[in-house]
Amino acid sequence: MVLSTIAEAVKYLFRRPYTRLVPAKTGPFKTDRMRGAHILDMSKCTGCSMCQQVCPANAIDMVEVPGQYPQNPRRRFPRIDLHRCTFCALCVEYCPFDALYMTSVTGFELYTRDKSTTLKSPVELSRGDYTLVTVKRDLYVTKEVKASG
Amino acid sequence: MAGRYMLYFGPQHPGAPGNVGFRLEMEGERVVRAELIPGFLHRGFEKMMENRKWENSYVLSYRFCVEDPDPFEVAYAEALDMVFKVDPPPKAKYFRMIQAEFSRIASHMFWTHFMLGSVGLRTPAYWALVAREEILKWFAWVTGHRIYHNFSVPGGIRSDVPQDFQSRTLDLTYRVEDLVKDVEKAVLGNRVFKRRTRGVGVIKGETALRLGATGPVVRGGGLAYDVRKLAPYERYDSVNFEVPVGEVGDAYDRALVRFREVHESLKIIRQAAMEVRPGGPYRVKIPLTAPPGRGYARVESARGEYTVHVTSVGGRSPYRVRFKSPSMPLLTTVLDYIIKNEEVTIADFPVVLASLDPCAPDIDR
Repeated sequence: MVLSTIAEAVKYLFRRPYTRLVPAKTGPFKTDRMRGAHILDMSKCTGCSMCQQVCPANAIDMVEVPGQYPQNPRRRFPRIDLHRCTFCALCVEYCPFDALYMTSVTGFELYTRDKSTTLKSPVELSRGDYTLVTVKRDLYVTKEVKASG
Repeated sequence: MAGRYMLYFGPQHPGAPGNVGFRLEMEGERVVRAELIPGFLHRGFEKMMENRKWENSYVLSYRFCVEDPDPFEVAYAEALDMVFKVDPPPKAKYFRMIQAEFSRIASHMFWTHFMLGSVGLRTPAYWALVAREEILKWFAWVTGHRIYHNFSVPGGIRSDVPQDFQSRTLDLTYRVEDLVKDVEKAVLGNRVFKRRTRGVGVIKGETALRLGATGPVVRGGGLAYDVRKLAPYERYDSVNFEVPVGEVGDAYDRALVRFREVHESLKIIRQAAMEVRPGGPYRVKIPLTAPPGRGYARVESARGEYTVHVTSVGGRSPYRVRFKSPSMPLLTTVLDYIIKNEEVTIADFPVVLASLDPCAPDIDR
């Protein structure tokens, strides 16, 4: 009977609206492991290009930055195009010096009509908000390795 | 209208199942022939993966099906496990099962939305999306993203599960069950839904299997063909579940099978979640270069059997990656069979399409 649908619908009529969540609550989709925009720690990066090598979307290229960086004599740091980035966090996982982090800044916060603003230079990447950091390398590092068979 | 005429249906059509078009040959209101026009979403995934390294090619392995990406991710990870000759820890295998089953439920709920949209029953369609949304939130909590999770990697799973994993996962299964029961009651008992779907798009299981189809289309036709039972992968051999089958093989039976499958999936998740605890090994690190060899995996996705074949000649990248998707036969051979054997009108055409549940990007890749 169609009545069964109506009976269920009446039940839902008195429930709290589900979709109200999105505009009413700030960041309703944020979680502790959200993979969003990157932060680069320029005091740790040695310019080894591992992040560039492992990026599946070719969103990272290494650029030269003026200044003195004792751990990075060639002064080469990653520049990330957030429009190409798939936010897979492989760069964070494979960085041998723990210099890249990911934050919960994602989705509409990154959306822009001007694509040039999403090409983040190393200096811009290092200015990110450290309080929003969600993903660090230690989340993905395998602590116990079983022998392969 | 007298005589035959051509009608273009899709890709920009609310009744089209995603970005595919059809060239329909019509006789009055009846669809006499439907020619599929694919290719709108072709991106060359198989070729792209040959140009990626082992450690980052899996990021591409599931990005062609928004509704149900996880079985594809699990299948590719399994195929690479075979190439690298590694055996992932049991916890990783159980987690992959939970991931694939949640994805199946999310996909079936998305399908409910499309199906009810094409029969004009919009209200319960949105309740189904609430169930899907709850699952996507769980995925964001465990893996970090809602749709493309990037969590089943060659050698196991990518990171350990959160501390309260078991309690939250079990809690979610009960919440989703309540929502699914509401949708089920409102849909399957509805007279309008029955009239629109009973006797529409009839195909027997054996016929569908012969035409290359798998999944709920075959099971709706009364044939219990399920890779999870016939050739168990991961740890499906250690959990109890049933394979629901229909009788007639019409659109209603396929809907019935999908709703019953959701309950079976929840049963699997509850059993598997008991085996996944925080702490302990979860991943075997794979080397940077693979030995020469082949990897092969077949999994049961929400739409049917999905196969991956990976060839390695050694080195840093796959030599060849081949996918066999479950969606292509649905819109070609199965649809042809249905149109030839019954009177499908233009009003029933979207219902037949939605009941087959093809995934358009999966056809094109």
